[in-house]
Amino acid sequence: MSMTDDRLTEDLAEGRPADTAPLSAGYMTWYRFSRNPAAVIGALIVISTILCAIFAPLIAPYPDHIGTVVDFRSRHLPPDAEHWMGTDKAGRDIFSRTVFGFRVSLLLVVGVLGISVPVGSLLGMTAGYFGGWTERLITGFTDVMLAIPPLVMALAIGNVLEPTLVNAMIAVTLLWWTWHARLIYRVTSQIMAEDYVEAARLAGASHWHILLREILPNCVSVISVKTTLDAAFVILFGATLSFLGFGVRPPTPDLGSMVADGRQFLPEMWWEVLAPGFAIFYATLGFNLLGDGLRDMFDVEA
Amino acid sequence: MRADLIEAILRRLLGFVLVLLVLSLMIFVLARIVPGDPARMALGPSATAEQVTALQQEMGLDRPVLVQYASYLGGALQGDLGRSLVTNRPVIRDVAEFLPATLELVIITIAIMIVVAIPLGVTTARYRDSWIDNGGRVFSLIGVTIPSFLFAIGLQLLAANFIPGWPILGRVDRTLPIPDGPTGLLLLDSLVHGQGAVFVDAAQHLAFPALALAMASIGQITRITRSAMIENQRKDHVLTLRSFGVPDRVIVFRYLLKLSSVAPLTIMGLEFASLIGNAFVVEMVFGWGGFASYGLTAILQKDLNALMAVVLVSGLFFILANLVIDLILSLIDPRQRRGAPA
Repeated sequence: MSMTDDRLTEDLAEGRPADTAPLSAGYMTWYRFSRNPAAVIGALIVISTILCAIFAPLIAPYPDHIGTVVDFRSRHLPPDAEHWMGTDKAGRDIFSRTVFGFRVSLLLVVGVLGISVPVGSLLGMTAGYFGGWTERLITGFTDVMLAIPPLVMALAIGNVLEPTLVNAMIAVTLLWWTWHARLIYRVTSQIMAEDYVEAARLAGASHWHILLREILPNCVSVISVKTTLDAAFVILFGATLSFLGFGVRPPTPDLGSMVADGRQFLPEMWWEVLAPGFAIFYATLGFNLLGDGLRDMFDVEA
Repeated sequence: MRADLIEAILRRLLGFVLVLLVLSLMIFVLARIVPGDPARMALGPSATAEQVTALQQEMGLDRPVLVQYASYLGGALQGDLGRSLVTNRPVIRDVAEFLPATLELVIITIAIMIVVAIPLGVTTARYRDSWIDNGGRVFSLIGVTIPSFLFAIGLQLLAANFIPGWPILGRVDRTLPIPDGPTGLLLLDSLVHGQGAVFVDAAQHLAFPALALAMASIGQITRITRSAMIENQRKDHVLTLRSFGVPDRVIVFRYLLKLSSVAPLTIMGLEFASLIGNAFVVEMVFGWGGFASYGLTAILQKDLNALMAVVLVSGLFFILANLVIDLILSLIDPRQRRGAPA
């Protein structure tokens, strides 16, 4: 049933004269999104995560606990009114550190996807648009890079350089674009068969015009779905790397190394793992729900 | 076997060899450009300049990087991967010692993945939009949102607290008579030697690590199986079968399942990369002492030869897994044989 039908039924049921004006595409998209509870929850979680990261100094009750604070009298305290998530081995407030931990996770998302999405999309579009040699070169290279396990690559580069989260994530960026290149290549190849592309070409449009004005707008929905789902993967990935010891420089908190630190004190001091662990789950859940919702909304495969 | 099939396999193999070359070259060159002299590191800070130069010559470090790489590659082809700085043994022996543990873990993990994910995908597709489907959706979502290390930690805690006497560390109880060979896979070896106690013990050790490792991919594969089943239900030949009154059971198991296993199998091949990655985490949590643990030590100790071996073997792992999957796919789906783009 189309949205127009839906609204018509609603109008008639409530005794209004039928509003037969066509609904805008934007409204229809929003309508589909807002009727999907999972997607709305996902969006709220994502927004709250981002706000948490931005306003961390205001939200965290003990903002100075992300630094080199050591308070041995209050180490390993269970959650109470003063420390909502308890304290860690140095007596630092875990809730505050978790809130700040979102910053590292989201910075990784921005860093990795900020580079790999444009690069991957551009390569994919170029391969799909020009075909021939360009196509074979790009898709061949993409397939080669795709076969490299990202974590192994991150560990290897981390070994060769310094084992820091930044170096490891640079390594991840070197591989991440491949997924976008592959996807956008497929989408572009499909779009190339459309009449409007042919029409633009016949009208004498330049390559740039066709790529940016005809093809790119039709890739936007696919790119945004893929990017949202990828954000969740990047967060998971960053947490896994820092859990393995490729962290940011202490005492800056990041979620993965907080879990690794707290693990030594399980099961007695369960709260030290619970808070950062839940934070990872929360953020990835949000991006996953939002990504799935966007996919349903745009009705694309990504 | 048919010629087209062989050609397709050869083409894939060639591509894969290329992958390994690019991968190893990248690591090798990077390792050589970066400051930090392996000879100096091996000898320690007290060595004299002459000693360092001598070792550099012995290790071939004074030659151009590409020449070094070529000689490394030549050695690798003959099974010589150099010496490990940490264990001070030939790397190839370390590989032979540590790889079976990881292999065993990965094989059981894949078995769990298939046994859980495919039936779950089929069931959720069959009862679409019912409570079973919603439950399956939540299950898949949990699988993709919770990192492997949390699964591992959680399962380990569960076992420790609720199942008295259940082993949560290592591969096998060291006091038992450990079978010696032939494969290094404990489950298999203990069966060959008829040691039931070892088999049971090894299986107990294996259960939770494998489950933790499988969880990350089960969600993804369930999802893909479900959507493939739903999509294929609308295909003309399936509708025709249905209109002829062919029972549901037969449609699902004889026609739909085969058609719908192409997508999940392809994804499983790609998921293999993250499986290898997650193995590092799971092995660490469960003290598994396998190849991934070895790799992690090599990385933290900057043991270049060991690291190269870890990268190459994981790459090889990935490639072989995908080759096997390609073979299965070409048996299931004749369209795959012509090397047509997927």
